[in-house]
Amino acid sequence: MRQLEFIIRRVLTSIFVLIGVSVMTFVISRVIPTNAAALYIGPKARPEDIERVTKQLGLDKPLPVQYAVYMTELLHGDLGNSISTKRPVLDEITGRLPATLELLFSAMLFATLVGVPLGVLSARWQGNPLDIGVRTLSILGVSMPAFYLGLLLQILFFRNLDILPLAGRVSGDLRFTNPIQPITNFFLIDSLLTRNWVALKDVFLHLILPSLTLAAYPLGLIARMTRAAMLETLEQDYIRTARAYGIRDYVVTYLYALKNAINPTLTVVGLTFAFALTGAFFVEIIFNWPGLGLFTVRSLLNVDYPAVMGVTLFGATGYVLINLFVDIIQAWMDPRVSLK
Amino acid sequence: MNRKLFVLSALLTIAVLATACSPKAAPPSAAPQAPATQAPATEAPATEAPAAPLVLKIANTANITTWDPIASFSTEAAYMANVYEQLIRLNPPGSAEQFTPLLAESWEKNDDGTVWTFHLRQGVKFHDGEAMNAAAVKKSIEAAKDHGGASFIWAPLDTIEAADEYTVKFNLKYAAPVDLIAASLYGAWIVSPKALDAAAADENYWANGVEAGTGPYMIESYTPDAEIVFTRFDDYWGGWQPNQYEKVLTLIVPESTTQQQMLEGGEVDLVTVIPSESVEAFRNNPDYTVLEEPSFFNYVGFFNTVKKPLDNVKVRQALSYAIPYDDIIKIAVKGLGTQSRGPVPAGVWPWSSEVKQYTYDIEKAKALLKEAGYENGGFSINLTYASENPAETAFAPLIKDSFAQVGVDVTITPMEFSQQWELAKADPAKAQDMFLLLYWPTYSDAGSDNLWSMFYYTEKPFFNLSYWNSPDFNKDLDDAIALTVTDPAASQGKYVEAMNLLVDEAPGVFFFDTKARFIIPNRIEGFHYNLNYPFVHYFFYDLHPAG
Repeated sequence: MRQLEFIIRRVLTSIFVLIGVSVMTFVISRVIPTNAAALYIGPKARPEDIERVTKQLGLDKPLPVQYAVYMTELLHGDLGNSISTKRPVLDEITGRLPATLELLFSAMLFATLVGVPLGVLSARWQGNPLDIGVRTLSILGVSMPAFYLGLLLQILFFRNLDILPLAGRVSGDLRFTNPIQPITNFFLIDSLLTRNWVALKDVFLHLILPSLTLAAYPLGLIARMTRAAMLETLEQDYIRTARAYGIRDYVVTYLYALKNAINPTLTVVGLTFAFALTGAFFVEIIFNWPGLGLFTVRSLLNVDYPAVMGVTLFGATGYVLINLFVDIIQAWMDPRVSLK
Repeated sequence: MNRKLFVLSALLTIAVLATACSPKAAPPSAAPQAPATQAPATEAPATEAPAAPLVLKIANTANITTWDPIASFSTEAAYMANVYEQLIRLNPPGSAEQFTPLLAESWEKNDDGTVWTFHLRQGVKFHDGEAMNAAAVKKSIEAAKDHGGASFIWAPLDTIEAADEYTVKFNLKYAAPVDLIAASLYGAWIVSPKALDAAAADENYWANGVEAGTGPYMIESYTPDAEIVFTRFDDYWGGWQPNQYEKVLTLIVPESTTQQQMLEGGEVDLVTVIPSESVEAFRNNPDYTVLEEPSFFNYVGFFNTVKKPLDNVKVRQALSYAIPYDDIIKIAVKGLGTQSRGPVPAGVWPWSSEVKQYTYDIEKAKALLKEAGYENGGFSINLTYASENPAETAFAPLIKDSFAQVGVDVTITPMEFSQQWELAKADPAKAQDMFLLLYWPTYSDAGSDNLWSMFYYTEKPFFNLSYWNSPDFNKDLDDAIALTVTDPAASQGKYVEAMNLLVDEAPGVFFFDTKARFIIPNRIEGFHYNLNYPFVHYFFYDLHPAG
């Protein structure tokens, strides 16, 4: 019962957070001394055309009225039309989301599946070369800027070794030989569902470098977090007792210790997931990945306020939800964590 | 506990997926899940297609700001020009004929240049099956005049009438070069009337790459920020040769280094930009031809002529002598440009070699400043430029260094272009002292565009950001524009007079005209550069594989 109350309270505050975000983004995007109508038409708009479009976009109304109009339309599921692409912002976001999520999921999957075992091994063999190697790797991963790492990987695997593609989600030729039937727009899933093996391989190869680049930061963080938690847990009495009973080493490590040490790692996974969304922006530009990041950067540069508003609100909602979710899970996993 | 953990992780995955995907838009063409198992069967023939289509692959930086052919006024012209056609196309300077007939086969004007009659090509179809005729032309031009992105180019137009099925008459308010206007890259596409009606009813009609032109290629698919696939229009009036491309894949690639790697790796056949520092390598490679041709862009710097001390013509002349023109071209565009003669780019009407230029001469600059009462300078000016423009970013510091030599201190303020422009238009007395601008004519008439837009006085400034008001210049320009059609020689004379007056009075600095660079692999033939359409880069219809 107390949990339910907590959740309701959290959801309510989240709504206020989102309203605050919308007001702030709206005001900031409008106080910039720029003319959205001029941007709407093109680089050489004429005064009379600017006037016409200003009316058409409702930019001649007072700011609070514009905000009210925006919010009313928002509640009807209409985020307006992008200034720079003239397409509905909602279509732009949902159309690009699968590309970004596919990249994000594969990166986070990789980071977790590799990061957790590395952290465990590193804790189990504390102080030996393996541990030093893992620690170096995770520091590198956390501190290397994504755009730099991405370029290095491109030079190594595309230019020098020529074994992985340079950029994009699929090869240019693929659409003429083995086109992917869009079902979910997650290309891996789509090509799997339609048993399009050529496409599956192509999509997979294109995913490797951007995923590695994006995974570097969360991987380092997860490995370090797991290692720290494991070190603490392995010192516990019950572990010593288990060992004294002669239980096999890997059972002790992976079954008894990891289970108790995984909690902080879970939090980190949840939070870096949201963080990686912003990391994806850099990665998408370097790898020419047609996702949300590329769109956001373009919108920012073009002062495309409906797009910026849409993406910000969307991102904030995602962030709030993930945070809420992680909180609830934590409490459920570990009764000692209070929901206050 | 163990099972709890498993359930949890499963839940986490599902929930994140669900929250993130909740507003999922089902792709309109996506069939329900069921046919998934049948898909491979229907797909199979495609994978073993007897002959792969002849595909041209291009990496282009140009993005799409709209697919609406009436509103289009930006980089998407690169694609529009392969899908839509104007009545006529302007040929590059020095061609045997000034125009290439497209949808119009012939045209004539009355003696005072106020009525223009175009005779249309017969039997042309739009991609949606509609017939191209006088009514379609009338509807397209009227739409462009009413709400086109470049609607102002039709300002001289009074009425347009369909005299018969294949004859269109343009009745003007005053004499104007309708041939040049009709050949414009913006606001002159002829569009299917059916599509125009549909677009009037639905503002998102064009959004996903819908088109309805008469051009050689049709849009097969469009993935925002990623790619556009074109397929040839079998009924194109120009007909098809077996070696022309059946499909064209355009990848949108903003980064020049990525474009270069794609070209070298064979992922694409053509690119639109590569890093300047790599050009030498291509020049030395026998597999490529590097072409550098005059373009119709140029860089101008406006002096604020309503503020002290720039209201003094001697000061403006002095500063015009203190610009290191050659170094600027070297630094800003790696030598890919030539010093301007006034604001009209070389090769575009009414450019003339008789227009004067300033040279880089620090001593002369110092002497002029002394005459103006500013010995050793002693004042400071504020210069703004568009931060998204790499050339301006590169050469703005050169101006600062050079002006420092004559004792003038420059504060450089980079801004987003739209902000820079809004501030400049707001209040001249409080605006910047110097404004850098990259400019180009909307259609190939730099008299009624560049000269008029940048230096003709209007009460509310627009692109005339020197705020300069010279009745003599305005009068010359009015005369020159009025004579363009009826007496081109006299018009040119007036223009030269106006431009020399402009250069003498120096309300602005005329830095350089840019050149366009193309790197064409020898395996591609048929490329012709057209100065009048630099945004297009490639007319796909002209191209074919070597041999």
